[in-house]
Amino acid sequence: MNGDLTMSISRREFTRIGCRVIIGAAAGTAIIESIVKNSLASEDKKGEYDWNEHYWGFVVDTTKCIGCGRCANACKLENHVPFDEHLYRTWVERYRVLKKEEVKIDSPNGGIDGFTNDIPKEDIKKAFYVPKLCNHCDHPPCVQVCPVGATYLTEDGVVLIDYDYCIGCRYCIQGCPYGARYFLAEETPHHKPHSVLGGGVADKCTWCYHRITKGLLPACVQACPAGARIFGDLKDPDSAVNKILDKERINVLKPDLGTRPKAYYIGLDREVR
Amino acid sequence: MQPHIKRAFTLLAIAIIVFIVIRSLVVPDSFGQYGWYRGDSVVDNRNFPVEYAGSASCGEENCHKTLYSIWEDSRHKTVNCETCHGPSEKHVSNVRIMPQPANESRDFCGLCHFRQTARPEDFSQIDPETHGQNLRCAYCHNPHKPWFV
Ligand code: HEC
Ligand code: HEC
Ligand code: HEC
Repeated sequence: MNGDLTMSISRREFTRIGCRVIIGAAAGTAIIESIVKNSLASEDKKGEYDWNEHYWGFVVDTTKCIGCGRCANACKLENHVPFDEHLYRTWVERYRVLKKEEVKIDSPNGGIDGFTNDIPKEDIKKAFYVPKLCNHCDHPPCVQVCPVGATYLTEDGVVLIDYDYCIGCRYCIQGCPYGARYFLAEETPHHKPHSVLGGGVADKCTWCYHRITKGLLPACVQACPAGARIFGDLKDPDSAVNKILDKERINVLKPDLGTRPKAYYIGLDREVR
Repeated sequence: MQPHIKRAFTLLAIAIIVFIVIRSLVVPDSFGQYGWYRGDSVVDNRNFPVEYAGSASCGEENCHKTLYSIWEDSRHKTVNCETCHGPSEKHVSNVRIMPQPANESRDFCGLCHFRQTARPEDFSQIDPETHGQNLRCAYCHNPHKPWFV
């Protein structure tokens, strides 16, 4: 016992041991991860649908929309979104520019029950409907803010939610500049309340991913009687969306945010936000 | 090296190994398969039930073939069966399960046809106060072929 209790380890020795521990930890993680991944790569879970062959896009023709709200209604029925709450994956907004330079925007029950003429025609300069839904951005702010990787952009360009992994922190709801996300507390066939956390999850439009991967159209597109909603594959030059993108003058919502939305609008007025 | 430092490093090494083991157990198998998310979640999203079967399945042989062909070349051909009749996938896969009866009220037809300022001018609209003497629309119009009076 030399009585010397101070650290007698040299700086060099400390660095050497420290580096070994760090490199060992990193290598260990990488090895275990690669073993797990290799065992997964052998089984292909995508089935016959190959998401590398598609990249989905959506066109909204506001000049055709008649504001019947059948899209919002069909969406709730297809995706089991509760009707008794103000939760909408898609909804129809009505814009009325009044003669006295005022803009009235409303969307009673998302447009599902229709609209009433509560402002006389004489006072209105122009009026139109704007259907809204998730834009499935190529640079989605909602995905960036998710702390647990429970929302993501797929290879075929759709932003989805992992209902089992979402912790219900609501960052994504705050992060979406389009108000496309909402908080779902109830149990639906798509989501059961978390076994541990108990609370709800974030939810939003998926472009009916369960339909489009089976070759069907999203429920809202199918329900639209006026041809105001067009859905298709951006990778297919002859698809319905590309036919429009090739010839119409189109715009997206809030292009200045750099989110690169894939819901394109025809006839977008400067008042639309 | 001094024993107490050795002990500290041993503890650190054990802690790191325990961390790696727990992490590989807790992180779901498919996490990171395609990106920073659970790959199996894509499969979950694809497997949700379909509710809307589409008009084409109504017009199949031995089903509503006649009605379908009437509707197909009517002014209502852009209004799909299920827009009025409700989602009917269950009825298509098992004819014993009947879909909801179609809404026959004036207000339902009115969702599309009552005059609205915001509606495109060239869409067929009527004034609910004066048109059709407050009778059900189907009294004069066939919903499957509106000009079949
Ligand atoms: C504009 C809304 C609308 C559309 C579109 C529509 N229906 Fe109907 N359908 C109705 C209404 C309303 C009734 C009940 C009317 C009645 O009593 O005559 C009805 C009745 C029926 C009936 C009951 C049998 C009968 O003749 O009384 C069948 C079957 C039917 N529809 C099938 C279809 C099919 C198949 C399509 C698509 C090709 C379709 N409907 C499209 C509104 C619609
Ligand atoms: C989901 C929307 C929708 C509903 C509900 C609906 N229609 Fe229509 N209807 C249309 C569309 C779209 C047309 C095509 C007219 C056009 O393009 O101007 C049309 C056309 C018509 C026409 C022919 C108009 C013309 O100018 O030739 C009549 C009549 C009509 N509908 C009556 C009805 C009746 C009666 C009902 C209720 C049973 C009904 N509609 C329900 C969307 C709808
Ligand atoms: C009493 C019979 C009757 C009833 C009930 C009736 N209609 Fe009509 N409807 C007609 C006749 C006749 C016409 C063609 C003459 C006209 O334009 O007024 C017509 C025309 C229309 C048109 C085409 C209008 C245009 O200018 O292109 C639409 C749309 C329409 N009806 C919808 C409805 C709806 C919706 C209802 C129910 C709310 C309804 N009708 C109830 C007899 C009726």
